[in-house]
Amino acid sequence: MHNDFDVVIIGSGAGGAPVAHTLAQAGKAVLVIEKGPLFRPQYQSPNGLSDFKRDELFATGPEKRIRVPGVSNWGESYYSSHVEPDLNDEPHIYQGEDGRDRATIEGYTAQVVGGGTQLYGGVSLRYCPIDFCLGSFNAERTDLQDDPAGDIRREARDWPITYADLEPYYGRAERLIGINGTRSGQAKPFGGDYYQRPLPPNAISDYVKTGLDALGLASYRTPLAVITEDHAPSGRCVPAESEVAKSGFINRYGDPLGLKSNTWVSLLTPVSRLENFALWTNCVVTHLGCAPGGRIDRLFYRDPSGAARRLDLKPGAVVVVACSAIESVRLLALSALEGAEFDRRIHHNDLLGAYFLTHCLGGAEAIMHRRCDKSRSLDSDWATDACQSEAFLHQTGLWAGGVIYNNTSDQALPLSLARTHGSQDLDTIWRAFEGDTRLLGEPLIDFLDQSFGTLLSVCFMANQVPLKSNRIALHPSARDKWNRPAAYIIKQWHPHDIAAMNLLAEQCARILRFGADPVHGRHPIEGQGGVHLAPNARARIANHILGGARFGADPADSVLDPTCRAWQFDNLYVTDGSFMPTSGGANPTLTIQANAFRIADHLLARI
Amino acid sequence: MSIVVLPQDDEYVLNYCARYLTRENQEIRHNYGQFEEQDALGSICESWRFPSVDSYWDGKDPKTSYFYNRVTFVYKHSGSSPPGEVRLIGNFACLYESFLLQPVRFLGEPTVYHALTLVLPKGKVYVYKFIVDGRVCLDAINPQRVVLDNGQPWSRLFTDLCPELLSFEPAEVELLARLTGSVLPLHRAERRCFIDRYYEQIDRESRKVEYAHTQRLDRSVGVVNFIDKLLARQERHHLIAYRLCLPIIDKLLRAAHPDSEPAQLPEVVFDELCRAMARGRVPGWDYTAYNSPAYFLQLLRRHTFTGAFSHPKYGGNVGAAGWAYLEERYRNPEGDTLFAWRRAIEYPLGSSTVYRG
Repeated sequence: MHNDFDVVIIGSGAGGAPVAHTLAQAGKAVLVIEKGPLFRPQYQSPNGLSDFKRDELFATGPEKRIRVPGVSNWGESYYSSHVEPDLNDEPHIYQGEDGRDRATIEGYTAQVVGGGTQLYGGVSLRYCPIDFCLGSFNAERTDLQDDPAGDIRREARDWPITYADLEPYYGRAERLIGINGTRSGQAKPFGGDYYQRPLPPNAISDYVKTGLDALGLASYRTPLAVITEDHAPSGRCVPAESEVAKSGFINRYGDPLGLKSNTWVSLLTPVSRLENFALWTNCVVTHLGCAPGGRIDRLFYRDPSGAARRLDLKPGAVVVVACSAIESVRLLALSALEGAEFDRRIHHNDLLGAYFLTHCLGGAEAIMHRRCDKSRSLDSDWATDACQSEAFLHQTGLWAGGVIYNNTSDQALPLSLARTHGSQDLDTIWRAFEGDTRLLGEPLIDFLDQSFGTLLSVCFMANQVPLKSNRIALHPSARDKWNRPAAYIIKQWHPHDIAAMNLLAEQCARILRFGADPVHGRHPIEGQGGVHLAPNARARIANHILGGARFGADPADSVLDPTCRAWQFDNLYVTDGSFMPTSGGANPTLTIQANAFRIADHLLARI
Repeated sequence: MSIVVLPQDDEYVLNYCARYLTRENQEIRHNYGQFEEQDALGSICESWRFPSVDSYWDGKDPKTSYFYNRVTFVYKHSGSSPPGEVRLIGNFACLYESFLLQPVRFLGEPTVYHALTLVLPKGKVYVYKFIVDGRVCLDAINPQRVVLDNGQPWSRLFTDLCPELLSFEPAEVELLARLTGSVLPLHRAERRCFIDRYYEQIDRESRKVEYAHTQRLDRSVGVVNFIDKLLARQERHHLIAYRLCLPIIDKLLRAAHPDSEPAQLPEVVFDELCRAMARGRVPGWDYTAYNSPAYFLQLLRRHTFTGAFSHPKYGGNVGAAGWAYLEERYRNPEGDTLFAWRRAIEYPLGSSTVYRG
């Protein structure tokens, strides 16, 4: 089969698409291989319809049962969207508190062209400058709380690039992807303003703005990857009724109209008609082959029929792995199983899979006085960087901070209200509702009356302490549908993470209390805390899948070099979130995209 | 009306097939009790999705398009060489009229799939078979099968908004309607007026826009019909729970109220029964036949709530009555609704002319 590609990119989401876009625009021969299907928005579809629907049963389908041999939650229910992998076919296994292995739907991104950017809420934040230098910031600190063994000072790393290095690429990403929001109030320097104007906030978000103001916290409109005006770089147009994007079908839904700026509509569509661009969908890359000298010279994949295929690469070609951190680490580890040369090089140190990261996340939720139509919403309206300043970190004894923003579309629709009642993680969807048998008859009507359009949540997304013991490995016995070892997620929360989550959850609760009661701050909170409190706390990832192949300047201390090239390989790059040595104090997608644009410029210079 | 065959869209077919139908590991991981123990269907992920029943757009008229589905039949060959010809017969046309499935290609090369996409009316149940190189066979992927009066097995499919009972008997429907009515009593108290008024409005509207399938199946906004379809397709593994529990409930109600038909008993009887099921202690329950009335109630609650508020194409939320109830009930002091669902949903069900469903 074809072997004339300059670059082969595995994965079409936030890490892969910016590279493909840049290199294809520059005339390089680009192949993107994507495991999932290509679901087009209506305006691109030959039949005028999209495979994404405004249908609550698309976000969370019918009940299925875990049937992965050997796991302790065998037989339990699970629900997945139509573009998430089936848990029985492609299991992720995590080690629970009791040491027993369980299958989990947490930690997957969508398997579809565009990857996780198809289903995400679109929150597109830059990291703060301090997120890039947490090693040096904490090196001499003596005021860190809940770190008796000195893990933070030992394990925190500076990135090999600074915020200033990445700033132009943040700007490029914001301009090319199509993001609405405001700069004013953000704690990051901007080289230019590429935001589209935000839509008017949902009325329920007024409580959040009131709370932020009452507490004196600088705020801004949350940057969201949804276009609100015609977007020239991608050729997308906004309908006359510009608020048509505010549908409530946001987080966990693909957008049939293509207004959400997933990487297919924003970055790949503009190059999709170029002769030097190819996209192979429904193809699973199973492993890479390495020639002596460290050059990836072939890759192996399954075509849409399931047949095993091989693609030989021409000399000088580059391979970019961008399958999301867990699957990228797994692909590299599986490649090592298949070839001694690959194995020797990727395991020149013991860091592949280590320092797996997600975010400390959590928040608070309250029932507000006034009912609002939450179905007219995007994912978030207001955010604050107040908990990321150096002053805040010294005052609280935290090693790193995190953003706080409100969730507007959560529980905006009737089924989402019920299936996330009492629990919002993917492993336990519907479970709390099923178990809460008080909600029967008139009390179920009362539940609707009390909750529909009145629930408001504020969440935080903060750095997780990097630990070598938190890692992605190959599971010793669980197999996927291709009989390959499944990913094994071994992670726990550091005591400092727990302290940070408790502290930041209280900040979220204060915003809600003062939002509804600006004078006294006494509005009751329904629940607050971090994910460490959940029964499946070790599994909780929120689809922020980071680390496991961190970059750095020292070959002995990293998997990738500062250009995200795997040490000891000539042409193997990794551009999804696995490159991150620390997880950042915000949702990671924009930073993954910005970094991928940076790597693309590097590749342009070498190809 | 003659059957409309749509042009083959290989990308669409592969998008639909690859994830579910390709694998090497043949372990039975997708059988949750809906198949016999070693049935090969248990190795296929979400086999219920086949044939694909999708929305349809004729490129012109949303009102006309709304009443049709785009149904894609897929034949996957497993031999060393592909079949020469795969054809489809079914009761959507005359049985002597067969339709040719086209080979599906990827990068110009043949795949293991043949496919055919037809435009079929909503609200219907169909039976069909493939003819592979002259040999008549059932759809090896689709688990829905029926044996017709002549004793012959056929593969079955049903389109959206289907009112025909597929899982339950009429007597079971009556009993289930009472149970779901107790779980989510949308038809009681002042709510009954709204639901009744809304159905009447739909009936008037149906005369204009041919709402042929928005029948009033039960008082719980069609949730029984939703459950009937769910158990026929996506959650067939739960059919056994209903098959076991409905007779238990019928029997215990008859024992407790020998002078009345169970479905005619007062609401308070069903309310107390549901509360007892929630507690897991139901007088007269046959625990040897089904040991957890609480589990059945949990299942029933999820199905009832989902049926009341999911998209009407699944057979519940008839005419979007569940959504309309929320739309009417939640209003601000100025009278504006606080659940403006119509603006997001496709016309003619909703009012969006941008989103087509």
